[in-house]
Amino acid sequence: MTDLKGKTVLVVDDEHDVRQYLTMMLEDAGLTVVTAQDGNEALDIIKKQPPDAISLDLVMPGKSGAKLYRELSKHAEWSKIPVLIVTGHARDELGKADLKELTISGPGIYLEKPVKPHNYIAAIKKLLGVEINGSEAEAAREVELQNELKNLIDEADAKTLETIRQLIKKRSK
Amino acid sequence: MSNAEDKKKGKLGEWLYKGLFEQVPFNIAVIDREFNIVEANKNFDSYFGKWKNKKCYEVYKKLDSPCVGCNAILTFQDGRVRVRDDTGIDQHGNESHYVVHIAPLRKSVRGKVDYIVEMSRDIVETKNLQMQYQLLFERVPCYVTIIDRNYKIVRANENFREKFGDVHGKQCYEVYKKRKNRCPNCPAAKTFKDGQVHHSNQVGVKKSGEKAHYMLTTSPLSRDIDNVPHVIEISVDITETKRLEREVIEAERLAAVGQTVAGLAHSIKNLLMGLEGGMYIVGRGLKANKKEMITEGWEMLERNLTKTTSLVRDFLSFAKGRLPELDMVDPNELVHEIIDLYGTIAETSGVRLIAKTKKTVKRAPLDRKGIHTCLTNLVSNAIDACQMSKRKGCEVVVGVDDKQGVLTFTVSDNGMGMDYDIKKKLFTTFFTTKGGQGTGLGLLTTRKIVKEHGGKITVDSSQIKGSCFKMSFPRKNLKSLFTHDSLVE
Repeated sequence: MTDLKGKTVLVVDDEHDVRQYLTMMLEDAGLTVVTAQDGNEALDIIKKQPPDAISLDLVMPGKSGAKLYRELSKHAEWSKIPVLIVTGHARDELGKADLKELTISGPGIYLEKPVKPHNYIAAIKKLLGVEINGSEAEAAREVELQNELKNLIDEADAKTLETIRQLIKKRSK
Repeated sequence: MSNAEDKKKGKLGEWLYKGLFEQVPFNIAVIDREFNIVEANKNFDSYFGKWKNKKCYEVYKKLDSPCVGCNAILTFQDGRVRVRDDTGIDQHGNESHYVVHIAPLRKSVRGKVDYIVEMSRDIVETKNLQMQYQLLFERVPCYVTIIDRNYKIVRANENFREKFGDVHGKQCYEVYKKRKNRCPNCPAAKTFKDGQVHHSNQVGVKKSGEKAHYMLTTSPLSRDIDNVPHVIEISVDITETKRLEREVIEAERLAAVGQTVAGLAHSIKNLLMGLEGGMYIVGRGLKANKKEMITEGWEMLERNLTKTTSLVRDFLSFAKGRLPELDMVDPNELVHEIIDLYGTIAETSGVRLIAKTKKTVKRAPLDRKGIHTCLTNLVSNAIDACQMSKRKGCEVVVGVDDKQGVLTFTVSDNGMGMDYDIKKKLFTTFFTTKGGQGTGLGLLTTRKIVKEHGGKITVDSSQIKGSCFKMSFPRKNLKSLFTHDSLVE
C-alpha cells in the first residue's frame, strides 16, 4: 500500500467508538489519521494542516457536517479536499435533506452506517484517486451502484417502484 | 279664548276628534251601508289613493263588486267589532297586507248601525319579517327545536325533522337520544331553572340509527329569567368534524410510528457500527496476538451492548402510553429532590446546581413520577451542556414559580447552548447531540409527559448565554384532569 503512504485523512464523528473504528481501518490501510469530534474541531485542524481527504459524519452537535461542508466549499483551497460522508441519517428526516443537497452539489459519495472495512477503504481510495485492486474495485462499484439506486428509489413514483419490485422478485426466483 | 271657554263651547272635543282622526297611525275610513266611503283620514288617502265617490271594495281591492265574505256586512248586521288580516292593493298597485279593525257607528245608541269605521294598519314589513324568520328557522344548517316545560317538542325545523324523524307529540329525549326518560345533566333543565344560556357537547341517535355528535346551545324563549315557558335548542352537527379529527389523529399516529421506526433504525445502525468496530479491533488483536488490542475491542463491544440496553429501556418508557396518575404534590419538594439527586454528579462535573424555590408556590395535582422524570432529563441535559462548553464556572438553576394560574418549572444553564439547526431538531425522535451517550429520547419523553398534563414545554437558547427549558402547566388544565368529568354524553 505504498501509494497511500503519507496521505492524511481527517475523520470527523461525534461518537468515540466510530472514530476509533474508522481510524483503525484507515491506519491498517497505511494512511495517517487525524480526528475531530465536530465541525468546529475539524475546521481548526484543516486551518493548520489541510488533510488529503475527509471522512465526515452529518449530524453532530456544535457544527454539523453539512455546515462544515458548506464552509469548505466557499474556500478556494479547501473546496478541493475530497469528502466522504459516513452517516446513519441517510434516510431519516434529520439527514435526508442535507444529504440530498450534498450529494447533488457536493461529493456525491456517501456510505451509510454501519460500514464494512472493504467498502470504506475502497471508497477512501477512490476519493484519493489511488488505484484499487480487483476486489476493492468491485466493492467501490457496489457502493456507487447502491448509492445511485437508493437516490433513484427516493425519487421514483409508485408505478416505477412497483416495476422495480417485480424485476427484483423475478430475479430472486 | 281660555281653556274653560273652549271646553264649554265643545271646541276641545272637536279638535281632539279631528287631531286623533288625522294623526292616529292607522288608515281610517268611514263606510255607509251602500259601501260608499264617506270619510277617510290623510293616512288612508296616502296609502290607498283617491276615495271620494268610491266604494270601499274599489279603493281597498280595486274590485267592481263587494268582496266575497265581506266582514263589513256582518258588522252592519250584528253591530259587533271584528278584526282580521286582509290583503288589498295600495295606490301604487302593489299588494298590501294589513290588519283591519271594523267597528260600528250609530247615530242613536240603540239604533241600527248607520256606518262602520275601518281602521287598518299595514303589516307588509311584519309579514316579510315573519317569512324571513320562518325561512331562517327551517333552513338554517343547524338542528333547532323548541320545547315546553314538559320537555315536549313544540316546534322543530326541517333539518331536524329530516335527520331525527317525526317529532309530533314527543319528548325531546325520545327524539334526540331515543331515551325513555330525561337525560342526566340535561342542559335544557338548567336553562329552565336559571334562565341562562348553556352549552354542551352531546351524542344522539339519528332516525337512521347512526350516532350524531352535536354541540348544543339551550336558550330561554323569554325575557323573564324567573319564568321560562319554552327553551330553544340549537345544535351544530359535528359528526363529520369528529370523524375527520379521528382520521387526523390516526394519520399523525402513523406518521409518528414511521418517524419512530426511522429513528430506531438509526440508533440500531449506530450500535451496529460500534459492534462492527469492536469486532474489527478484536479480530485484528487476535491476528496480531496483541492482548491490549483484544481488550480494547472487547470493551467497545461491551459499551455498545450497554447502550443497546439503555436504548431499549428508554424506548419502552417513551412508548408507554398512559394517563398521568395525579396526586397533590408540593412542587418545591420535587425541585429539592432533583437537586439532592444530582448534587454529587454536578459537583464532580464542576457544575454549580442551584434551587430557586418559592414559598408562594402551592401544591398542585401532578404525576410525581412523571414530573420527576422530566426534571431528571432536563437537569442531566443541562449538566451535559455545561460539560460540553468550554466556559468556566457553569451553573444549572432549577426553578419553580406559580403565578397567574400557571405553574412553571424552569431548568436553565449557561453551558454551550444550541444553534438554530439543533433547536429545529430538538424534539425529534432519537435526535441526540451526545454522540454515543444519549438515546435521543429524553426530551421527547419529557414533552410527552408535559402534554399529558395539559402543559407545554418551551426552550430559549443561544450559544452565548446557554439554554433555558420551561415547562408550564395551566392550573385549570391540571384541575380538569384531576376531576375528569367535564363532558356531557
